[in-house]
Amino acid sequence: MWCTYACGSSEHTISRRGFLAGAVGGALSSLTLDPFTRPAFTHELNKQQKRVLMIWLHGGVSQLETWDPKPGTKTGGPFQAIPTSVPGIHICELLPCTANIMHHLALVRGLNTAEDDHSKGAYIMHTGRRQEPAMKWPHLGSVCAKLLGSTDNPLPGYIHITPRGNGGVNSEDAAFLGPRFASVSLSDGHAPANLDRPAALTEVADQQRHEFRVHANQRFLRSRRTAQTEAYTNSYDQAAQLMRKRDLFDINKEPPCVVDRYGRHDFGRHCLMARRLLEGGATFVKVMHTNYDTHHENFDFHIEQLGEFDRPFATLIDDLHDRGLLSSTLVLVVSEFGRTPNINRNYGRDHWSRAWSIALAGCGIKGGSVSGKTNAEGTAVADRQVNGGHLFHTYLSALGFNSKKNFYIEQRPIPIADPKAAPIKEVLA
Amino acid sequence: MLLSRVLLRPQLALCLLALSPAVLFAEAPLHQRIDQAIAAAIPDFAHQSASPATDAEFLRRIYLDLTGSIPSAAEVRAFLQNPSPDKRVTLIDRLLASPEHARHLATVLDVLLMERRPDKYVPHQAWLEYLRSSVAANKPWDQLVREILSSDGADAKTRPAAKFYLERQAEPNLLTRDISRLFLGTNLQCCQCHDHPRIEDYKQAHYYGLFAFLNRSSLVVDKKLNMAVLSEKADGEVTFQSVFDPAKVTKSTGPRLPEGPPLKEQAVEKGKEYVVAPVAGSRSVPRFSRRALLGPTLASAENESFKRNIANRLWALMMGRGLVHPLDLDHSANPPSHPELLKLLADDIAARKFDMRGFLRELALSQTYQRSSEQSSPGKEPEPTSYTVALLKPLTPEQLAWSLMQATGLIDAERQALGKNATEAALYARLSPNVTPFVKAFGNPPGQAQEFDARLEQALFLANGAAVRGWLTPRPSNLIDRLGKISNTDALAEELYLSVLTRVPSAEERKEVTDFLTVRSKDRTAALQDMAWALLASAEFRFNH
Repeated sequence: MWCTYACGSSEHTISRRGFLAGAVGGALSSLTLDPFTRPAFTHELNKQQKRVLMIWLHGGVSQLETWDPKPGTKTGGPFQAIPTSVPGIHICELLPCTANIMHHLALVRGLNTAEDDHSKGAYIMHTGRRQEPAMKWPHLGSVCAKLLGSTDNPLPGYIHITPRGNGGVNSEDAAFLGPRFASVSLSDGHAPANLDRPAALTEVADQQRHEFRVHANQRFLRSRRTAQTEAYTNSYDQAAQLMRKRDLFDINKEPPCVVDRYGRHDFGRHCLMARRLLEGGATFVKVMHTNYDTHHENFDFHIEQLGEFDRPFATLIDDLHDRGLLSSTLVLVVSEFGRTPNINRNYGRDHWSRAWSIALAGCGIKGGSVSGKTNAEGTAVADRQVNGGHLFHTYLSALGFNSKKNFYIEQRPIPIADPKAAPIKEVLA
Repeated sequence: MLLSRVLLRPQLALCLLALSPAVLFAEAPLHQRIDQAIAAAIPDFAHQSASPATDAEFLRRIYLDLTGSIPSAAEVRAFLQNPSPDKRVTLIDRLLASPEHARHLATVLDVLLMERRPDKYVPHQAWLEYLRSSVAANKPWDQLVREILSSDGADAKTRPAAKFYLERQAEPNLLTRDISRLFLGTNLQCCQCHDHPRIEDYKQAHYYGLFAFLNRSSLVVDKKLNMAVLSEKADGEVTFQSVFDPAKVTKSTGPRLPEGPPLKEQAVEKGKEYVVAPVAGSRSVPRFSRRALLGPTLASAENESFKRNIANRLWALMMGRGLVHPLDLDHSANPPSHPELLKLLADDIAARKFDMRGFLRELALSQTYQRSSEQSSPGKEPEPTSYTVALLKPLTPEQLAWSLMQATGLIDAERQALGKNATEAALYARLSPNVTPFVKAFGNPPGQAQEFDARLEQALFLANGAAVRGWLTPRPSNLIDRLGKISNTDALAEELYLSVLTRVPSAEERKEVTDFLTVRSKDRTAALQDMAWALLASAEFRFNH
C-alpha cells in the first residue's frame, strides 16, 4: 500500500529532469538531495525527522462520549464503555476501532482550560496560552514549522486541511514568528492555490520563461545581491519544487482499496491526504473534523460524528505505525473544550472546559498511559489537573525540545511555552 | 531609437566639503546638509560611495517612492530625452503635487497606522479618503495625529479619524503599545509588566504614564447613535506593580509622556463630573477628559520623540532603512547610525511645522537619495548604515500591484477606455480592487508591521495566478498588444524594457529578446507574454533599486 510515487512510476523523475534542464543556477543543486524521488532515502530521513498530526474536532467533542465515559451515572448518557487493547482502560463504545489501537494512545483526563468560549478555547488549545490584548501567540503548528521544519522543504510548514471555507495562508497564526510559518489551509483537501501551471502554458514554454527570468536576475544581481533578493529568487525554486510534489495533494493517486479503508467521506479523504503529506515530508498537518457543537441531540450527533471519526483515525494511526512513522510523528486529538456532564432538555450537552480530556499518540508519547482523573460524574477534575499550558509543554517535550526555552525576537526572550506550566511527565515515553 | 544617458553633474557634496561648516550650517538647504552628514561619517567617502543614479534608475525610484508605481513607457521616454539640467527637481515637484502622491502616501500611512487590521467599525474607504484628502492638503503631521488621537467617533465629520482607536477596540494596553511604537518610535510593550529587562531607557512608569491617558476610555455601542464609539469615565487612577519586584510595591501615575512632566489635571466640582453621565448602552463624556490631553501633549514640537519618530520613519520610507533601526527601538543603547543627522532632521521637520511634503522633497533632492544602488567597484558589501550605495527596497504589496498594472499596460488600457473621464480618482476606483489579492498574498498579518518575506505561495501567485496572467492577455493598447504590433525586434526589446524595467535594454538583452523570438517564432504572442512575465518576475522588478 505504498503511495504511487514510490511504486516505480517514472513520471516524477521525468518532470524533475525536465525542470533541471530549463533551470540555471547554484540554488538548484540542492535538488539532487530531494528525498521525493528516492523512496529509500525518504524512509531513512523520515526516521530522523519529526512531524506532527493534529486532529481538530471542531465545536467541542464530548469527553463522556469518547475518552472518559461515565456509564450508568446521572451524567453518563446512553452509551456503554468498552475495553480497549490496554487492560484497565475503557473508552466509549462509539470508538471501537480506536479501542483496538489504545496501546498507541495516551489520555489526559484531568484537563481544565477554564474557557467556555469557542474562539478563546481554540486559542488556548492552539497556542497553550490565554488571549492577551497586546500579545499574539503563535499556533503550535507555526512553532513546529519553525522548530522542526527545514528551509529546503517546499511543503508549507503548517498545513491545515479543512472541510470547507477559503484556502490560503492565515498569516495571523504565526504571530511573531512571521508569515513563513503561518498555516496554509487546504479547503476540502484541495491543493494550495496556483499550484497548477496555466493550461495555455506548455511545460517547455514555462522552462523557457524561467530561463529568461534567471538570466535577467543574474545580470541585475551581479552587483546588488542581498539576503532579500536571494530569498525572492529562491522562492521560485521552491515553488517549482512544490509543483513537482503536486501529487501529494491528490488522493486519487492512491489505489481505490486504500481510499475505501479510510472512507470516502470528507474526514476519511482528509485523513488519507494527511498520511500522504506526512509521508511526503510535511512537518505539521492539522485535519479538521467539524460539527461537534452538540447543544441539541448530543447523542445522535456523536453517533454520527464519531462513526465518521473512528475508522479513518484508527486506520491512519495503523498506517503510520506500519510505515515506521508513528514513533516520529506526534499525534494529538483535541477540541476547543469538552461538553457539560449535565444533559440539557434538548438532549444536548453545552460548552464545558472544567474537566475534559484529550488523546495523544506517537512521537515521545507513552502508549497506553493515562494522566488525570475526573470524579464519578465527571463534574470536576479529581486528580492531576492540567491546563493548556501543560499540554503545550507536553507536545514540545514529546518532540524532544526543552519546553522551558525561549524564542528570541529582536533579542527579546519569549518563552516558547507558558512558564507557569510544565510537561505532563506521566504520558511521556 | 536609442536613448542616450544624460550625464550628471559631479556630486555636490564633494564641493561643499571644501566650504567652512559655519557657512554651510547657516545657509545650506536641508538636502545638502544631509549629504554632508552622510559623507562626513566615513573617512574615504568619495572613494566608497556609488555613482549618482542614472536618469532611468532615478526615475523608477522616485516614481515608486512618491506615487507608488513605476512610470509608463511614454513617461520614461520623455524623461530620458529631456535635456533640461533641472529635470529631476521639476519631476520631484510635479510628483509631490500629483493626486497619485496623495493616494500613495495615504496608503503608506494607512498601513503604518492600522497595520491591515480588519475594518470593523470604520469603512476602509472613509478612512483612506480622510488620509488622502489630508495628504492632498498637505496637512501637517502633528495636526493629523492630534485629529486621530482626539476623535471619539461620535461626530460623523471626524469619525474616520477615530479608526485608530476603534479598530483596536479602545483597548488601553494595545493603544499604549501602538502609540508608543508608531508615534514615539519606542516599543514599550515589555514595560506593561516591568521595566524593560534589556533596554535601560524604557521604564514601566513610562508605559503607565501613556496608559493613564487611555484607561478611562472604552468602546461602547451607543444605542442612540447605533454604532461603536469611545466612552470615557471621569475617574479611574492607574496603579502598577513590577512582576520582578519581590516587595510588590504599588506605584501610581497620572497621564504623562515618557520623560515628560506630570500633567495638570483640571479639577471638577463634585457631582458635575460628566457632560453626559454614564448610562448602560450609551457613551459617557466627562467634563475633564484625560484622553483629550493626549493629542496636544504627544503631537507637539516640544516632544523630542515625536519629532524623531516621524523624521526617522520618512527617512526610512525614502532611503530603505531608518537612521534608528528598528524604527520602534529608539533608545540610548541603540543610537542612530548618524545621531547628529537625525537631530537635524527632527528639528527641521518640526521647524517646517511638520510639513511632510516639504520634508520628503528635501530627502528626494539629496545626493544620498539619488545615489546608484550598484556598487561602483566590486568588493566588500557596504554597510547598509553607511548609505554609500542606495539600498534595495522591496515593493510593498500595493506598489507591486500598481507597478504590474502599469507595466502590463492595464492602466493605459483603462485610461483609454475612460477617455475624457480618466482622472486619478476614476482610475483608482476602477483598478484598486485588483490590489486586494496582492495585499492578501504579500501583505503583513493584521496588527503587525509590514516586513519583507519571500514565500513560495507568492511565487506561485505571480507565476500561475490568474491576475498577472490575465493582464498579459492582449487588449487594445496594453503591453502585449503594443509589442505584437512591432515587427522590428530591436524596437520591440526597447518597448518591453522601457515598459517593464523603466530603462533601455543593453545590447546583450536586445540579443536575448531576438533569440527568444526566433526560438519561439511559431507562437509569437505567447513568446511575448513569457518574456514580459520573466521580466515582471525578475528581482529587478520586485525591488525598488
